[in-house]
Amino acid sequence: MDQLLPPEIVEAGQTFPAALAACGDLDALLRLKGAFVGREASHATRLMELLKTAPKEQKRELGAAINGLKQQWEEGLKARQAELEAAKRKLGALAATWDPALPPPQPPRGALHPLNRLMDRLVEVFRPMGFHVEEGPEVETEAHNFDGLNIPEDHPAKASSDTFYLAAHPELLLRTHTSPVQVRTLLRVAPDLAARGGIRFLAPGRVYRKDEIDPTHSPMFHQVEGMLVGHGIGMQHLKGTLEYALRALFGPDTEIRLRPSYFPFVEPGCEVDVSCPLCGARGCRVCKGSGWVEILGAGLIHPNVLAYAGIDPKEWSGWAFGMGVERMAMMLSQTPDLRLFFENDQRFLKAMGGLD
Amino acid sequence: MWIERKVLAQEIPASAELDTRQLCEVLAALGFPVDGVATLEGTEALDVDITANRGDAMSHRGIARELAAKLQQPLAPIATGLVSEGAALVPVRLEAEACPIYATAVLALGEGVTPEVAQSFLRALEASPKRLPAVDASNELLLRYGHPTHAFDADAIRGAVAVRWAKAGETLVTLDGVTRTLMERDLLIADEAGPIALAGVMGGDRTKVTEATRRVLLESAWFEPKVVRATARRHSLHTDASHRFGRGADPAMARVARDLLVARLQAWCQAKLIGAWTAGAVPVPAAPVELEMALLARVAGEIVTLEAAQEALTRLGCAVTAAGDRLRVVSPTWRHDLAIAEDLAEEVLRLRGYEHLPSVLPPMEGPPEHLAPAYLLRQRVARRLAQLGFHQTVTYGFISPEADALFASADNPAAGRTLANPLGYEYSVLRASLLPSLKTTAEQNLRQGSRLVQLFELAPAYRSTPAGPLEQVALAAVWGGVLGGEDYLSPARAVLEADLAGLARDLELPGLPTIHRLADGLFGFEIELEALPRPQDRIIPVFRPFSRFPSVERDLSLLVDLGQSYAALHQAMSAALPAGSLLELRCVDVFRHKSLPEGQQAWLLRMRFQADRTLVGDEVDGWVAAALVAAESLGARLRA
Ligand SMILES: [Zn+2]
Repeated sequence: MDQLLPPEIVEAGQTFPAALAACGDLDALLRLKGAFVGREASHATRLMELLKTAPKEQKRELGAAINGLKQQWEEGLKARQAELEAAKRKLGALAATWDPALPPPQPPRGALHPLNRLMDRLVEVFRPMGFHVEEGPEVETEAHNFDGLNIPEDHPAKASSDTFYLAAHPELLLRTHTSPVQVRTLLRVAPDLAARGGIRFLAPGRVYRKDEIDPTHSPMFHQVEGMLVGHGIGMQHLKGTLEYALRALFGPDTEIRLRPSYFPFVEPGCEVDVSCPLCGARGCRVCKGSGWVEILGAGLIHPNVLAYAGIDPKEWSGWAFGMGVERMAMMLSQTPDLRLFFENDQRFLKAMGGLD
Repeated sequence: MWIERKVLAQEIPASAELDTRQLCEVLAALGFPVDGVATLEGTEALDVDITANRGDAMSHRGIARELAAKLQQPLAPIATGLVSEGAALVPVRLEAEACPIYATAVLALGEGVTPEVAQSFLRALEASPKRLPAVDASNELLLRYGHPTHAFDADAIRGAVAVRWAKAGETLVTLDGVTRTLMERDLLIADEAGPIALAGVMGGDRTKVTEATRRVLLESAWFEPKVVRATARRHSLHTDASHRFGRGADPAMARVARDLLVARLQAWCQAKLIGAWTAGAVPVPAAPVELEMALLARVAGEIVTLEAAQEALTRLGCAVTAAGDRLRVVSPTWRHDLAIAEDLAEEVLRLRGYEHLPSVLPPMEGPPEHLAPAYLLRQRVARRLAQLGFHQTVTYGFISPEADALFASADNPAAGRTLANPLGYEYSVLRASLLPSLKTTAEQNLRQGSRLVQLFELAPAYRSTPAGPLEQVALAAVWGGVLGGEDYLSPARAVLEADLAGLARDLELPGLPTIHRLADGLFGFEIELEALPRPQDRIIPVFRPFSRFPSVERDLSLLVDLGQSYAALHQAMSAALPAGSLLELRCVDVFRHKSLPEGQQAWLLRMRFQADRTLVGDEVDGWVAAALVAAESLGARLRA
């Protein structure tokens, strides 16, 4: 049979499978297809011409051989084309595939300062009980910072070793607590206290005391003051409010404990402990094994404080508390050094502050 | 103060039955928390925290009295009548009301030293024994009974003794060797040769007891707390005696302490009593304070019976009589803090234990108040900035004069904002601006390897006024370093002034604030919070109709001079466009490249049009052509 065909075509026919396999892409396959089964100058057209000129008795046998070859080639080409197209589709699909593990572009992320965040949280906790926020200046008068709070004239806190005073205005000082906001607010609302139905507010803010800077002291720090004035207010209301608020802050299983203490602007006065939120009151380093952590000072507003503001202590009574924000933040976060809160390292702020 | 358990048990034997933890709990419940426990020389000492109003508790006897009332257990009796008084050997004249009683005695000292048991007690309480029995006995008495006493060398005293106000200019060399110039408000003990002691504060050097002293004159008096506090403060002389007298000692203890001191000296060094006498008397107690049961019930949150209140106050040493719905209460001589009904109510509750207080939410009596707009604004701005990648800082309100001068305006002199007693020079001025603090903080962050620093602070800045520093809450933001370049989609670039301008727009500032270049690649601005738009009163604004027809967008690429003002070009082009249909005209690209003619840049200007109808191409083309003409009038050319 092969002797009927030209030797170069026979040879090409023998190399066809290898050539087919060598086609790495569709272009190469197209060229191979042209050479074997193209409409012009291909092996197939050459064979068809050969068939036309072949002796009549050979035509039948030759025709069958040629058809066999062509069919073999076309099937080979078609199969290879399918293979190559599949490979191409696969690559295309891969290229379009997104690897979710690749670091994506990220929206920026800043942080509120942890101390502000804690103060905001306290406001949130008291808000449903009808407390709003009152604020006052950091530069205060002696009258607001001391006198209106029943602090005796010769109290050591007034000394220049404890309190910062202004050089050009000896009567002005940097407030040593947020309590002057009590005095200012009571003075303001006194005339229409009855119409308002008393008052209840929080006063968060910055305060100053002349302490050297070290891991547990800072000349500037934050307090949140709380105050409520109404009719017939007693220690039970202080306890009830603080129990609600501290449970909202530290969890529903939190217990609180009031201990007698003394602050000139309240009577009776107390310090308030919470069951240690870090160990669930089982005893740890933070609560020094006692299961209790001191969290704030409080008491019923001293009648002199109400009277100073022009409020009749026979008709009205109330409670007040004050808490140190840094102290609470350090306790909750176990931050070892107070100075970190004022260094403002972005890594610290990001880790401690968060967004809300 | 340190309370040693063995001595405490001598005052209240029942305390020995409590273990340390129980004792600490009882003390805390009474208002005396224990800060620490020290174990030494076979005993324990508790570091008891005693508030300033409770001078009466600042001794073993004082704490024992509290425990006795709480535990309802007896106190050990104090021996009295040890000394029988006679005529005054030396006249003692009380010339000031601030000293109503002065008990004294003269003794001849014999042989002997302070016994070891007293020395070890003093050591346990961090008081070093002097081995002079008269001095050690006085110290031991003070720690044990809370009453300061003093021993003078009787042979050094000249003539009569007086308790009197100082004369201006008088001097006294105190025991510490310092010469004190006295003032008229200083109360002193004097003999006929001059001052011999600052009353209730410190004795004088001339009459001090030494090893050579043969005869002592004892002083056991009572001085007005206010007077002692003032003298101690004026002379910066804070002693154990001034601490006790300053917080109110017990006048009834004057004679008792004198007797106890005499007895100790007799026992410790065979002292012979030569004579004992007292000038003045225990002052008449103040008028009784009334405690109405209604007030007690209000404070306690529940009814407390008259009998229960009476019983509690009596246990604390008060003389109580019931009168209808109230109690009339006379404080014991050692309590100076029971001035008003509320003080008494506290005592009743304190003795009962605060753990028994009911817990009740206070009823609302009026509508709750809103949060102030300024407060809400700060919250909103802080949250927005945090969302934009900024970190809120908290920095000190006072800075150094040099740092302050960087951003303080000329009409805001630092003198009006300077502290009289700063922590140091670098913390001496209330800052006019937050930027110096933020600049320092940002540079610190960059030095420590931050690639991008984004900080803001909301805090008061101060302005000097004749009435004092005026506070205005300021917002400052600083931004520096490299943006992007941290993922495969965001190219890296340096932070520029334009980023701060964009931030200002995001915050809806009414105009562009001054953007300061704080350092290479570090920018910042500061505004008064007042400048920010207040949150709207309306929850949502009034509806304004808007066109649903599609908008048409056209770009013009213009070649303009490098010095071309964008505002001028924007204004000229806007003026040429139909105001009713122009939605927006903005530069969306600035291209500067050497391929452009020298001195020129290319700006890509985008126009968006919209109307209440479908806009036709020709019409828009006409507008764009007019805008181009306007631009050309300023020297711009269409970029080919
Ligand atoms: Zn714990």
